[in-house]
Amino acid sequence: MGLVYSLMSAGFNLVLAAANIIFIAFGQFYMIGAFSVWYLETYAHAPYWAAVIVAAIATGILGAICYPIVFRRLQFTKQQFLTNIIAGVGLMLILGQAALLIFGTTSRGVPSPFSGTYEIGGVRIPQERLVVIILAVAVLLALNFFLQKTRPGRAMRAVSFSSDVASLQGVNADRMFMISMVIGCALAGFSGAIMAPLFGVDVTMGASGLLVMLVVTLGGIGSMPGGILGGILLGLMLSFGQYYVGGGEAQILFFALIFVVLIFRPQGLLGQKGQGGLPGQPGQ
Amino acid sequence: MSSRVKWAIAILLFALAVALPQLISSAYIVRLMILTLMNAMMAMAFVMGLRAGLLNISLAGFWGIGAYTTGMIATKTDLPVWSALPISVVVAVAVSIIVGLILLRGSALSFIIGSLVVAFIVPLVFGTFDFFEGYVGIIGISPPEAIPLGSGAAIRFASEPSFFYLLLALSVAVMLVFLALYRSWAGRAWLALGLSPDLAQTVAINPYRYRLAVFAVSSGAVAVLGFFFAVYSSVLQPSVFDAFKSIYIQMYAVLGGIAFPFAGPLLGAAVLTILPEALRLVGDFEPIVTGALIIVIVVLMPQGILGLLSGRRAKDMTEFMVALGRKPGAPARGDETAAEVDGEAEAQDETRR
Repeated sequence: MGLVYSLMSAGFNLVLAAANIIFIAFGQFYMIGAFSVWYLETYAHAPYWAAVIVAAIATGILGAICYPIVFRRLQFTKQQFLTNIIAGVGLMLILGQAALLIFGTTSRGVPSPFSGTYEIGGVRIPQERLVVIILAVAVLLALNFFLQKTRPGRAMRAVSFSSDVASLQGVNADRMFMISMVIGCALAGFSGAIMAPLFGVDVTMGASGLLVMLVVTLGGIGSMPGGILGGILLGLMLSFGQYYVGGGEAQILFFALIFVVLIFRPQGLLGQKGQGGLPGQPGQ
Repeated sequence: MSSRVKWAIAILLFALAVALPQLISSAYIVRLMILTLMNAMMAMAFVMGLRAGLLNISLAGFWGIGAYTTGMIATKTDLPVWSALPISVVVAVAVSIIVGLILLRGSALSFIIGSLVVAFIVPLVFGTFDFFEGYVGIIGISPPEAIPLGSGAAIRFASEPSFFYLLLALSVAVMLVFLALYRSWAGRAWLALGLSPDLAQTVAINPYRYRLAVFAVSSGAVAVLGFFFAVYSSVLQPSVFDAFKSIYIQMYAVLGGIAFPFAGPLLGAAVLTILPEALRLVGDFEPIVTGALIIVIVVLMPQGILGLLSGRRAKDMTEFMVALGRKPGAPARGDETAAEVDGEAEAQDETRR
């Protein structure tokens, strides 16, 4: 399960580092991804694979709609975090309530196309979970390839390093913000889509977007491997903690872990010093 | 506006606030006034942090700490309820110093997200441990003891107006402390830090220490409101103090205009407290309409209502705060802060002489 948090925090990190948006409404995109899979499977009788892909594309398009309407005008202002957090909350209210009105409060199950189990070294793993793990790893690898090797990926990293300097090199910073937003939202939708068969779908799923922020803080802001590590840690702590001490206590333990890490490494586990701040802001 | 006019307006507003509960018999409207004032005070604490360059989203958490401290004292100990006021403040300040020591070490962005983390932890802690009565919450907090006035008369805290006056007194005290701080050396050091941390360091202002101070003071101020909220509502539930409350506090401040440390939060809180009430007409669509309005407001006028009204002419208070709401496309991000600081420093010297 941690890997799904990894996947989401990769998306959140992308939006945060490249576009400098603290995207509070991220969890809602996760929920929308899950709901579109449910909708496609129940009403359109689409095969699971197609539904997942369509869900990712749909959330990506939604992100592409949101960015120019909501965030573009805030993008080049001085204290953009101040305003884009608020805009994100507005978006969250709209999407959350819209989902509530359309889908209601009932929780829904999504049938999974995989049912068998595998045994690996004496450990029994349900097939559907294995599929989720493989999908998550594959997408993370693809994302890494995109960011490291392709031209738009490199441009995106340049923008996240410094949008001004990147602009001087002929990179269209605004378009890069847009693309990172689309990819980030698509990742959130994809995570929701592949999680839907495992945990069912309901409107409170959006709250997990907040956990993603914690994962990003733990792993290091703007650090992809940090986000992945943090996501796995969160998944492990929540599932083991649920078993041994209870859900609430497990979350508090995770918070305590974050604080201990922040005492010794203010930049997060794998974050780099001086990253993730704005010029003229503290800690630079 | 000269400072004399401002004082006149402030005193007029105060007189109006004193008179209104006497003129209006509706408890509902007095209740809305209480909520507005409480929200506005928290937004003022938020603006205080912002002046020092801290975007602090943990304030509702410290509000909750103050309220829960009061609730615990009132229900589980024999101490007088009034004693909870100083104790709440001390507890909140102590917690904020510990948290601040950790959070302020990272970058600006990690402070924002770190404070958001705090905002999530606090209600979770209250809800999880039986010591705090879990998600049921603390019930039956008695109002503060009556203040004897001699010859049998006393101020009793029972009706809505009496609580409004209690809040008004606390608020005025907190506002005067804020004003004194803003005018002191520390307040000017905060402003310098907000303008340019690098330049502030060259004149021997320690960002870490001064930001810790602003974090502690604003947390203490919201703890005062926590005390009030505990005795006013007499029931405390963890969900009241969740992270959304913190973000709403930020909205009150931004909507009114962050360049205006007192008037901005008051106006913003008034609009955003009354708006959802007014929007109950649209029923289930209320969050959607509110969300859309929030986006429209913040996108079209990031400088806030007062910022829009005063335009660029707001010379006093903090001119740089007006500059925060710069139009898109204008040069941004610190490239001209140096010039601005110089200009502002000179302007301040001028007014001082």
